[in-house]
Amino acid sequence: MIKVPKKPLPSLLTVIGYPFAIALTIFSFFQVGFNIEDFKRNWENRKLVTDTLFNPKWEWAIENASQALLETIQIAILASILGCFIALPLSFYASRATNQTTVTYLIYKSFLNFIRTIPDLFWAMLFTVAVGLGPFAGVLALVMFSMAIMGKLLSETIDSIDLGPLEAAKASGAKHNQAVFTSALPQILPNFTAYFLYIFELCIRASVILGLVGAGGVGRIIETQRIFLRFDRISPIIVLILVAVIAIEQFSVWLRRKIL
Amino acid sequence: MNIPKQPINQRILKYLITVLIVAGSIWSASGLEITPERFLTAPSKVWILVTAMFPLDLSQEAIDRIVPKVGESLFIAWAGTVIGAIFSFPISFLAANNVSLNSFSRATKQVLNVIRAFPELILAFVLLPITGLGPLTGTLAVGIHSIGTLGKLSSEVIEGIDEGPLESIKSSGGSKLNELFFGVIPQVMPTITSYWLYRFEINLRASAVLGVVGAGGVGAELINQLRFRDFPRAGTVLVVTILMVLIVDTISAAIRRRIIKGREIKV
Repeated sequence: MIKVPKKPLPSLLTVIGYPFAIALTIFSFFQVGFNIEDFKRNWENRKLVTDTLFNPKWEWAIENASQALLETIQIAILASILGCFIALPLSFYASRATNQTTVTYLIYKSFLNFIRTIPDLFWAMLFTVAVGLGPFAGVLALVMFSMAIMGKLLSETIDSIDLGPLEAAKASGAKHNQAVFTSALPQILPNFTAYFLYIFELCIRASVILGLVGAGGVGRIIETQRIFLRFDRISPIIVLILVAVIAIEQFSVWLRRKIL
Repeated sequence: MNIPKQPINQRILKYLITVLIVAGSIWSASGLEITPERFLTAPSKVWILVTAMFPLDLSQEAIDRIVPKVGESLFIAWAGTVIGAIFSFPISFLAANNVSLNSFSRATKQVLNVIRAFPELILAFVLLPITGLGPLTGTLAVGIHSIGTLGKLSSEVIEGIDEGPLESIKSSGGSKLNELFFGVIPQVMPTITSYWLYRFEINLRASAVLGVVGAGGVGAELINQLRFRDFPRAGTVLVVTILMVLIVDTISAAIRRRIIKGREIKV
């Protein structure tokens, strides 16, 4: 007879977690109001969308949106570069491995966590009020957005670096900053590059919708046409964005393979 | 002392990247007509906005309006994640090239890529005339986008499994279905569940902004208060949203860590 070990009792997480998740699911679906009657009534409206959405007006879009599309890409480039390079020094302060002072560590860590909780479009709304409508507000919003993501990813990478080189640099007389610069920074540079390309992709996607709150880019045109339900003018813009996003993705995949 | 030089092509690459970054930022900044002065004056302008928000508007009326809206965002995010999880789970098996047929896998991956390319907000306003103003539209938009992202992540998890258990099931006479249920699913479930939770955290932020186009949630509240220049109330919206996101993030991160690490069992 083989001795099979007993199955452990279900943990507290399972006992509470599963019923809670199921209850939350049911409650959420009631709260968002899935109503079959409304749905049927609105289903009649689908022609409003489908008739125009699949009938793209290419000439109009190329004539009116290409300038704004360029602006979108410029916002994403500038913001991701600024955000990531601001986050680079911050991440060293927000990691236990390179910052032994508990107070400053906690300050930087919670600062990065705090800016991460505010969604990108909320930043955009706040900056449009603070610095005025236009692409500058969009750039600032995406700087916060990319800074938050880079700060989180990079500080977690720094947490897991090899501490040997750091110790060696200090043993041979380097100051803390010198040690970090010469032995921690080179360890995380490949990761930094990979994260940067990833964040650049995210910024391109995010910059498309910034214009919906007046923060510049192609979203401005989407917003004005969407109000009039001119999906025939929006759909070619969406396709153009799609092509741009895919092209940039392919480029960054190529670059990543080249560098890493 | 003789220090070896970096290989020449690596040095060229380094300079090339530096030039690319500098040129890219200058080109973008000049195209957008952004000058360094604007960056230097921005913090003081933001500070004016921040001081206008305090003290927060904590009147009963404001709280009664804002808290249900924040709750609505939470429910949109959860329901959307559930939709994403339910649909992406079978799709991810179709998309994984070690479980499904090669041509099937390639086609499914392309479909997932296309779904993923549309931001939630664009999905939301395309759906708006069909599903109506309100949280249902937001839920569907979040759900559809999640199918794309979760499908991709889950299929990558399935592709990375250990083939050993599958082989042992096959050698002891198990069917293809047995392999799936006893070989693949137990291996991938912890990682996939943690991805679901992670997606929930992201969807929470997405659902918060959906209100901008009228698809439910707290976004409409913020943009309206900012338009009416009611900054104390806008500040309240912001603070309540941040608190909710922080709480959910903390709980979800703790559960994810527990799922991945597993429970310590005394034998």
